[in-house]
Amino acid sequence: MSAFGAALTKDLRLLARDRVGLVFLTLAPIVVITVAGLSLAALYGGASAPVVPLVDEDGGWVGRGVRERLASEGAIRVRQVATRDAARALVVGKSAGAALVVPSGTSDAIADGRTARLVVLSDPVRTVDVTTVRAVVQEVRHGLETAARERANDELAAARERTEAARSALEHSGADLRQQLDALTDRLDAARREAARRRTSLRAALAANAARRVAAARARLVDALTPLRGFLQELTTKRAAFDAWMADVRKQAGRFADRVPPPPEPPVVPPAVAELTRTDPETLATRIIGGDAGPPDLPPLPDVDAAIPRLPALDVPSLPTLPSAPLPGTLDVEETSVTGAPARFNTFDQNVPGFSVTFLLLGVLLGVSLGLLDERDWGTLERVRATPLSLPVLLGAKLAARFTVGIVQMVLLFVVGWLAFDVSLGPAPWALLLPTTGIVFAGTAFGLVVAGLTPSREAVLPIGSIAILTMAAVGGCWWPIDLEPDWMRRLALAFPTTWAMEAYNDLMIRRWGAGAVVGATAVLVAYGLLYLMIGLALFRRRVSR
Amino acid sequence: MSIYGRRVPPLVAVEDLVKRYDARAALAGVTLAVEPGEVVALLGPNGAGKSTMLGVLATLLPFDAGRVTIAGHALPAEGGAARRALGLVPQQIALYPTLSARENLRFFARALGCTGRATTRAVDEALETAGLGARADEPVARLSGGMRRRLNLACGILHRPRVVLLDEPVVGVDPQSRERIFDAVAELARDGAAVLYSTHQMEEAERVCRRAVLLDRGRVVGEGTPATLVARLGITPTLHLHTARPLPTGWLDGIPAAEVTRTSGCEAAVGVRELAAIPAVLSAVLRAGGDVVDMTLERPSLADAFFALTGRALRDDESTSA
Repeated sequence: MSAFGAALTKDLRLLARDRVGLVFLTLAPIVVITVAGLSLAALYGGASAPVVPLVDEDGGWVGRGVRERLASEGAIRVRQVATRDAARALVVGKSAGAALVVPSGTSDAIADGRTARLVVLSDPVRTVDVTTVRAVVQEVRHGLETAARERANDELAAARERTEAARSALEHSGADLRQQLDALTDRLDAARREAARRRTSLRAALAANAARRVAAARARLVDALTPLRGFLQELTTKRAAFDAWMADVRKQAGRFADRVPPPPEPPVVPPAVAELTRTDPETLATRIIGGDAGPPDLPPLPDVDAAIPRLPALDVPSLPTLPSAPLPGTLDVEETSVTGAPARFNTFDQNVPGFSVTFLLLGVLLGVSLGLLDERDWGTLERVRATPLSLPVLLGAKLAARFTVGIVQMVLLFVVGWLAFDVSLGPAPWALLLPTTGIVFAGTAFGLVVAGLTPSREAVLPIGSIAILTMAAVGGCWWPIDLEPDWMRRLALAFPTTWAMEAYNDLMIRRWGAGAVVGATAVLVAYGLLYLMIGLALFRRRVSR
Repeated sequence: MSIYGRRVPPLVAVEDLVKRYDARAALAGVTLAVEPGEVVALLGPNGAGKSTMLGVLATLLPFDAGRVTIAGHALPAEGGAARRALGLVPQQIALYPTLSARENLRFFARALGCTGRATTRAVDEALETAGLGARADEPVARLSGGMRRRLNLACGILHRPRVVLLDEPVVGVDPQSRERIFDAVAELARDGAAVLYSTHQMEEAERVCRRAVLLDRGRVVGEGTPATLVARLGITPTLHLHTARPLPTGWLDGIPAAEVTRTSGCEAAVGVRELAAIPAVLSAVLRAGGDVVDMTLERPSLADAFFALTGRALRDDESTSA
């Protein structure tokens, strides 16, 4: 155990005296934690609000509502601009990640129940800003639609209340009417029963009276028909006697019978009159007057003393007025990329250049600095300095070698990204060489700075790692730079990684041409030249000690 | 006194050279010269200023005062021309470990100004000189220490420089490699190069160098051939005697050219100012009844001169950056 204790003590002492290692154990993670924490603050709501240009072409209640709601929205800062073109220019110029346009006629369309659209002009690279704006716009849209619905609901509720009251009044009137009608029915029933009773008694009286009248009439008829019957019977007898006389005449006329003029035709007894002679007088009286008195004429309806009630004055309420406006229309959101590229992009379009730049920096920065420290440790640097080969030439050759390797590395990574992850190489793939050349040059030259600053290989790792991690993280290699707060984005301009990523985003995501990255490439080259001068000065000072 | 009055100008000429690190003077007015064909040892304890001197001569370090010329080119103004005449062989094996011997040689040949066929010829000759023809295409990391040391020398001299600066060129090598390196240095001198040979090994310096310059605390404390230095310091040879019996006190009285410097039992050390006095010393031993069992004569060496000039105190605390 004592040997183990001695070995343990020894190792702890070695660790305690390895100051660079101790710094690396603590400072590097602290730096990364700080950078990552500050950079990713937006994910947890801690970032500064993005500026959102707002164009109110509508001028109506929707535009007003959008303005008011956005003004109270903490997640964004609204900047009102006059025209859609001005808003587009702000997004294209990268002053804003997204702009919101309330198109003309939006309020009217909503009011008419039609569908209207809010227009989001977006920069596809500024995903975080765009996402924030999308969310805010959706909230605003939701709020406006909710307000419109609430307003419609209020109107419907009022109409429903009025309808309810009218129905209640109508029911009340109906009940009154029904009550009065019931009373009227009762009274009519009573009247009907009284009328029936009277009708029955009247009918009996009428029947008796009729029987008497029939009997009297029958008697008078028999009396009246008796002479007629006697006449008709005599007529018949006399006619038969005439016919017999005539026949006798003719018989006596002999051959002159045909000269005997026909006797005048006796009057023809109408059959009905003849019938009277054959029919029994009683039967005839019954036929003429009726066997009985027959149904008497109905007496007039009894006079119902209760007058038919007048209909009650129904309290019919005025019908509720339906809401004059139709139900509100819907409000959609239409997103348009100002660059002409798709609004949503392949995430590898961000990750391939980002991590390629990170590993490029690891390669060239550590390669250059460790390579120079190797030369120093091997003694070859001093030896070469004693040759006609000048220090700038020596360093230039080393940087050129690393530069070449860096270019090849980047080209390979982009080719792999294109083949394996279908990354966009933009409208002019060759243009990717512009920022690639710039960042490789800047990274290579920065390696010289690190070599000039670090006294040993042991110091390169922490210093180089911290520098690389910071530049990569802050520069937007690992996540969209608009996640970072404003001050960090401004700080990021001091890092070449920021310019490189901006250029790659311009080419691969915004799908712009080579002209868009000339400026960023120039900045990268300028950084490279600056690093080169600083690195040369530092390195000269270090090697001349 | 100026050294520029000589008929043949030295290839390395340093006059009143001063180099300071902050307030401390690593070189405090050093003057020396190395003639063509001459191998000069640069000696001194740690911190004496040897490395600084080589750094200045190799144009690697600026200096604060004095005049330095390399092959007639004044530093620092004509550093580029001076470097073309220089061959530096650092103490550290300054080679690219993953490159082969041939690749190292080719690179240094090109760096030293060789072009075209001259490069190939210089590389082949260097491989021959270093005895590495059979291992020329192996990575340096696979070569033995002696091979690397020989290659280290070859890389510094393959362009036949007029001035060669050697810093401990045989540290840690086997005797065969050492001899090969000594031969190469001798050949350089024969070809007219001026060789400044920095070493801690006095025997090595005496073996290789015609002259020595002793530095201590940034100053030249001695210069000349080993014999001259010894003579100038008055250091006498020592006769070590081992007798059968202890010698009595005063046994050497009467011999003025010799004196007893140490006695211990049957052993005695006698300083002899003139070698001609040795027979008289031996006669005195016989007279004193001390039969000589063994006897050795220790001539004064460069090391004696070194210690005489620099002392025997440790210099560890003065060695930084010098």
